[in-house]
Amino acid sequence: MNILKINNLHKSYGLEEVLKGINLEVSKGEIISIIGSSGSGKSTLLRCINYLEIPTSGEILFHDENFHQTNKLIQSLRTKVTMVFQSFNLFDNLNVLENLILAPQRVLKINKKDLIQKAYEILDSVGMKDFANKLPKHLSGGQKQRVAIARALMMNPEIILFDEPTSALDPEMVGEVLDVMKSLAKTGITMLIVTHEMSFAKELSDRVIFMNEGVVYEENTPDIIFNNPQLPRTKEFLKRFNRNY
Amino acid sequence: MRKVLNKVILFALVFGIIITIFPKANAEELNNDSTENEVLNDAIQNLKFYSSFNYQTLTQDKLNKLTSDFYLPVEYFGVTISYIVDSEYLSVSEETEIILLRQGTSTIEKEVLKVTVTNLPNIIKGEQEFLIQATLTYLDDSITYNYQGFITPVIPDDFFGGAIYTLVRYAKMFLEGAGLTLLISLVGTVLGFILALFLATAKIIAPTPQDKILSKSLKIFFNKLSSIYITVFRGTPMIVQASFFWYGFGLFGNALLCGLFVVSLNTAAYIAEIIRGSVNAIDKGQTEGSLALGLSYSQTFIFVIFPQAIKNSMPAIGNEFVINIKDTAVLSVIGIFELFNQTKKITSLHYRQLEAYAIVALIYLILTYSITSILKVIEKRMGMKPLELTSSN
Ligand SMILES: Nc1ncnc2c1ncn2[C@@H]1O[C@H](COP(=O)(O)OP(=O)(O)OP(=O)(O)O)[C@@H](O)[C@H]1O
Ligand SMILES: [Mg+2]
Repeated sequence: MNILKINNLHKSYGLEEVLKGINLEVSKGEIISIIGSSGSGKSTLLRCINYLEIPTSGEILFHDENFHQTNKLIQSLRTKVTMVFQSFNLFDNLNVLENLILAPQRVLKINKKDLIQKAYEILDSVGMKDFANKLPKHLSGGQKQRVAIARALMMNPEIILFDEPTSALDPEMVGEVLDVMKSLAKTGITMLIVTHEMSFAKELSDRVIFMNEGVVYEENTPDIIFNNPQLPRTKEFLKRFNRNY
Repeated sequence: MRKVLNKVILFALVFGIIITIFPKANAEELNNDSTENEVLNDAIQNLKFYSSFNYQTLTQDKLNKLTSDFYLPVEYFGVTISYIVDSEYLSVSEETEIILLRQGTSTIEKEVLKVTVTNLPNIIKGEQEFLIQATLTYLDDSITYNYQGFITPVIPDDFFGGAIYTLVRYAKMFLEGAGLTLLISLVGTVLGFILALFLATAKIIAPTPQDKILSKSLKIFFNKLSSIYITVFRGTPMIVQASFFWYGFGLFGNALLCGLFVVSLNTAAYIAEIIRGSVNAIDKGQTEGSLALGLSYSQTFIFVIFPQAIKNSMPAIGNEFVINIKDTAVLSVIGIFELFNQTKKITSLHYRQLEAYAIVALIYLILTYSITSILKVIEKRMGMKPLELTSSN
């Protein structure tokens, strides 16, 4: 059974149609990388899945259910489908521990004592235990992103959406975040990752999706997409990409 | 050095407030003998002293602000009087002399002793009490009676002398005024801040597509209400607002409460805009990071956006407090004796406008400068970006 099913998803900003009928099925535990050139709608797709953007038309089913009707439903969906952003978006007014605890305490109503214990366990797993009382502004980019991942994990989500999680990082910090994501992938959680880290996508993904001009242009195993792409735009994109990097 | 200055000012303010609350106790009653003798009683009741200026009479209470020589009569309708004057500022002549007093169209002669003011106390010492012990004798009966008076310093002619005189002589009034100005500004800013939280919230909250009709219309209603409020209060002078509520409605039946009300309302409009600006300046990622974890809009606002916006607003809100210290001067128009109005009152007491207004300008400057400095220290400690003091109305 699919954990997530997207049917004919459209999204327009004014007259500009950014998503032009996306169809996608994701099964539980799958690691999916989404690649594509800038402006192809990768972020928009991810943001529609948790309703940070409201789709213009189409259907997004999580466990075969629709969540778009009310704010309450959308909020409950977001606790199951959390997101990690390119720019981290840690709460600047809260320290690391408080960043982790806020949502589960206020949304899931879990008592604080249990949350603190859980927070320390998760921080330990991303190597940030010693930074629990630091404010975000005192952390490096890589540290921030690891905390952001820890914060997402605090909700016990079924899916985590990653929107270019390493794009804002200095090169020497990319590795530490990717390592965390790799070990996360082994836990059986479902991950949708928009990324420009091709070797990472190749190594980790069960499936790679190439997006082009608002549609899923080609999708296949990483081996086929990267070594033997079937369609012309995919070939062109990867050739251009390899030249630039 | 600055720390010491701050402490001195703080002390002065606290002191000012204390003497406002506890007015000086009345001078103690003189315990005088009493007598059955009607002639002596009449003499005590009606005995008059004469000032050297046109020989006006000095009734007993007029002895209270003595600055120049005067005369003591030695005889009153058959009662003879002798005096002992106890004061380092006065000396009594040995010999009596005759002065002419005008009475109606004619003049009468009076035998008197002249009291010379040998020197005046300086302004720092202030008023000095003196006692005149009069012994009244009629036939075989006699009684002693104490008259109390005060010698007052006089105001020097030059600017600095006059300024020092004004400052010391009217220190209490200045302090009371400064205390009231600070009180109104502080309370007005705090109340204004609380009201501004609601105004800013009303103005910031936007309806979302998922909102029901009722909550959508409520949001729009409060949004408009808040906009109108802010426009009106920022678009009209506070002096007009104060007059409107006091002379128009006599709000609260108490000018001070009415003034506090006006300052709070006025400040709220400005602080609301400051807070709104801060909220808008918070990175959108903060909101998205919060929403993406399932927090609601209001939770996002309360736990993430508002704390950051308020912290960033603090320097500007502190600046509103400083502006209020100056702007509350307009409350003199509704008869509140804050610092400016106290100064006006002082000038009406001694007519030295230049000195009085120079002093009050200095007091305002000390208040605004020291509070700005204190706020800067606090902001630095709390890691806020300090705000340069902007000019205001
Ligand atoms: N809020 C918005 N309003 C208007 N247009 C938008 C908005 N967000 C995105 N777009 C447009 O939608 C298109 C797709 O944007 P999107 O961010 O999804 O691309 P992307 O594939 O994530 O690109 P990138 O690799 O640069 O992140 C772009 O042309 C962008 O200008
Ligand atoms: Mg993007």
